[in-house]
Amino acid sequence: MKKKKITVILGAILISIILLLCVVSFFWLPFDPDRMDTANRFALPSMTHLLGTDQFGRDVLSRIMIASRSALLVGLCSVSVGALIGLVVGAIAAMSGPRLQSLIMRVIDGFMAFPGILLAMMLVAVLGKGQINAVIAIGIFMIPSFSRLVYSMILENKTRLHIKAARSYGCGPVRIVVSHIFPDMLPRLITQFSSSIGGAILTESSLSFLGLGIQPPSASWGMMLSEARQYVLSYPFIAIAPGVVLLVAVLGFNLLGDGLNDRLVQRGGRA
Amino acid sequence: MIKIFGKRLISALAVLLVVSLITFFVLKWIPGDPAQLILGTEASQESLEALRESMGLNLPWTTQYWNWLVNLFHGDWGSSYIYGESVRTLILQRLPVTFSVTIFSMVIAVPLSALIGILAALFKDSPFDVLSRSLMQLGTAIPSFWLGMIFMIVFAAQLKWFPVTGYTPPSEGFFAFLHSIALPSIILAIGEMGVLIRLFRSSMLSALQQDFMQSAQVKGLPRAMAIVKYALRSAIIAPITVIGNQTAKLFGGTVIIETIFALPGIGRLLLTSVEQRDIELLQGIVLFITFMVVFINLITDLLVAAANPLIRMETGGKES
Amino acid sequence: MSAPVLQLQGCTVTDARDNVLIHDVSLSVGAHECVGIIGESGSGKTMTARAILGLLSKDLKLSARQMSLCSQDLLTMNEKQKRAVIGQEIGFVPQNTVAYLHPLIRIRNQIADGFVQAGRGTRQQGQAKAEQLLASVGIRDPKRVMNSYPGQLSGGMRQRVNIAMALMCDPQLIIADEPTTALDCIVQQQVTELFFQLHQQRNTAILMISHNLTMLKKYCDRIIVMYAGQIVEAASAQEIFDHPHHPYTRALISVIPRLDQDPNVPLTEIPGYVPEKNRGRTSCLFADRCAHCQPQCRQPLQFSDALPHFSRCILQEGGMAG
Repeated sequence: MKKKKITVILGAILISIILLLCVVSFFWLPFDPDRMDTANRFALPSMTHLLGTDQFGRDVLSRIMIASRSALLVGLCSVSVGALIGLVVGAIAAMSGPRLQSLIMRVIDGFMAFPGILLAMMLVAVLGKGQINAVIAIGIFMIPSFSRLVYSMILENKTRLHIKAARSYGCGPVRIVVSHIFPDMLPRLITQFSSSIGGAILTESSLSFLGLGIQPPSASWGMMLSEARQYVLSYPFIAIAPGVVLLVAVLGFNLLGDGLNDRLVQRGGRA
Repeated sequence: MIKIFGKRLISALAVLLVVSLITFFVLKWIPGDPAQLILGTEASQESLEALRESMGLNLPWTTQYWNWLVNLFHGDWGSSYIYGESVRTLILQRLPVTFSVTIFSMVIAVPLSALIGILAALFKDSPFDVLSRSLMQLGTAIPSFWLGMIFMIVFAAQLKWFPVTGYTPPSEGFFAFLHSIALPSIILAIGEMGVLIRLFRSSMLSALQQDFMQSAQVKGLPRAMAIVKYALRSAIIAPITVIGNQTAKLFGGTVIIETIFALPGIGRLLLTSVEQRDIELLQGIVLFITFMVVFINLITDLLVAAANPLIRMETGGKES
Repeated sequence: MSAPVLQLQGCTVTDARDNVLIHDVSLSVGAHECVGIIGESGSGKTMTARAILGLLSKDLKLSARQMSLCSQDLLTMNEKQKRAVIGQEIGFVPQNTVAYLHPLIRIRNQIADGFVQAGRGTRQQGQAKAEQLLASVGIRDPKRVMNSYPGQLSGGMRQRVNIAMALMCDPQLIIADEPTTALDCIVQQQVTELFFQLHQQRNTAILMISHNLTMLKKYCDRIIVMYAGQIVEAASAQEIFDHPHHPYTRALISVIPRLDQDPNVPLTEIPGYVPEKNRGRTSCLFADRCAHCQPQCRQPLQFSDALPHFSRCILQEGGMAG
């Protein structure tokens, strides 16, 4: 009981750190994140450069703050897109006849068979690199898991008595899903949403790390790490900060999702 | 049993069909003309047209898809325009690297996760359990490329326990080979352990809460024996399926680790094909990987079905 | 009468927040005796059985003045000894048959575990004995059942296997927790009959938990009535039916549907709910639902449990019984 609370709180704290970085970046940045200072390359942390400078002498903290915008943007947008489409697809599959149902679910299975980042990479190959394409690619990447979840929850719910009752007095499928099943699904959707944002941020930074996501001169944590890779053996320090921030962001959303799962879903499910 | 086999086989084939359609269409939509991509912008209209004709690009898509499938079955997976070699050769050349890293990391991850997960369940809410849950969270959240870099700095560059990058084939000595893939495998294993510890823990917890544990107690069995004979047996079944699944997924997710450690595996080939938009190569790799995923899943499903009397009985039905 | 098989004095179970779940339960089961416990759902009858068997979940606290099994004190034993003694002296038949047998192990490989553990013989001897027992609990094809997985058997068959498994160590006492609830009607009848046949043949003492008063009356020597975690009345089966003292017992008897009753008259019910809180108090827990409630009933009360007919009500003591 108490421990679950701690998970949620810890998650919320980690997320607020990232949110704070992002919000502050709109009003104040220690330095211009793109300003190069070749005399001052690979500087260790100091009072002027709190997290040091990178291979071009750019201030690492400023770049991390700027990059938090794109991480959160890509995370939120792609998961929203994926969740929305996934929800509709899953609901259609669950409420339609057996033929359409198995056709949709086969296609979903097909998408699920692409392991990890493969689907996102393939989509990037088609769409091209860049931030918006990353959102689309990761969004599509998120659809199958959401539609699976919605599909199975609706099927589970469909057999319940109050749904049968609603149907018996003439509720249409849309109304049943929206007003009778959706409230029941909401806790699990919120949970999945939160954890998926963590996953999306991780996928975005992986794509950027491979040079397939956000492109320079924009900043992204994954890209910062990718740039750091060439110099990491001589200047290990530049690889630390972006990785820690990325870890904090992903861990924050995962913990929040997990904690909410324990609090909302399991309690609600048992009552 | 045969009925289950048939059912699973059909659904696996259906998934493969869908996958091939997705791959085919997604890559059909790539903007730009493949012929132009190959011949360059300087090419004359006639030569472009000739190439299109010879590549079958003027045929209706159903025919193109069909021809493509038929060729796949005949072992012709297309040819890469950047390497100028057949896709099949390229993939098979790089398969051993990816394969060994995947297997080695699962060899590390599975026993460790089973041990940690089961102990965590037995000592639920103890400091060990809290620690294992924290590790679990870290394991799933930590970006593998970052962990890879950190490990490379610490264990390869500073401590010099492992080579920094590169791959030694087993032909140059088995130990040297293991040594060269150890660090990447450990990093993949850490990511996997996040998933697997959670799985083993929850599976064991639910086994411990089953009525048969009370039955064992009332029969007078000591707790240790009840755990070994009763709880473990049902706790291990559920993870097997997921382990198969994860192995398959891992197989397609080695691209990042291969990039960091400069391993000449399928992941690197994939990255090159995406960067260079080498469509036939990309198509070949994607299909190959997904085929492996579906295949490994099918095999695990069947193994579990064969091992689990509950599933076996689905076909036999209840006797009363 | 020889020493009782089971002697329980002042058993109280509380949960992590110190809510009393069962309060001051005292009961004894004599050798060869058949005792029934009756009560509504949530009255604490299953909890009492679990307390005796050591099956309470870890967050519950158990206290008792005495808890002895075949003259061995269970309270002073460590966990390991307790398991061993209970394993040998008590056979337990559960309510839910679905997961009580391990679903992934053939009956043959789990039925003799307790027998072997208790050092009564080898696995082969245990399996041979199990086959005999399976035959004696009315299984026609013991060999096939031995080779089956629990999922291949019907609920009635599984319960027979459970009964046979409970008998493996020739226990002094069988505790059965609503053993027929999960079964369909005809099988219920058969299994109940089987119990009392075994009782007759083997002279094993039985502690039967049920909410079927008619069934208990037919088979039990003594009946214990539980309400809201306390024993409210305990007497011989005949006495309970002929001279029920406690208004709750009377209510229970009056709600038994009879064949000769007018089908148009609705079945009677006891108004109100079972109290969930404050079960540890000594004032009457039934007072809120009782038609005979008096101001005195709201005060702390004391009852002697020395009499053969125990009742937690002032009525019989005030001479107003019946």
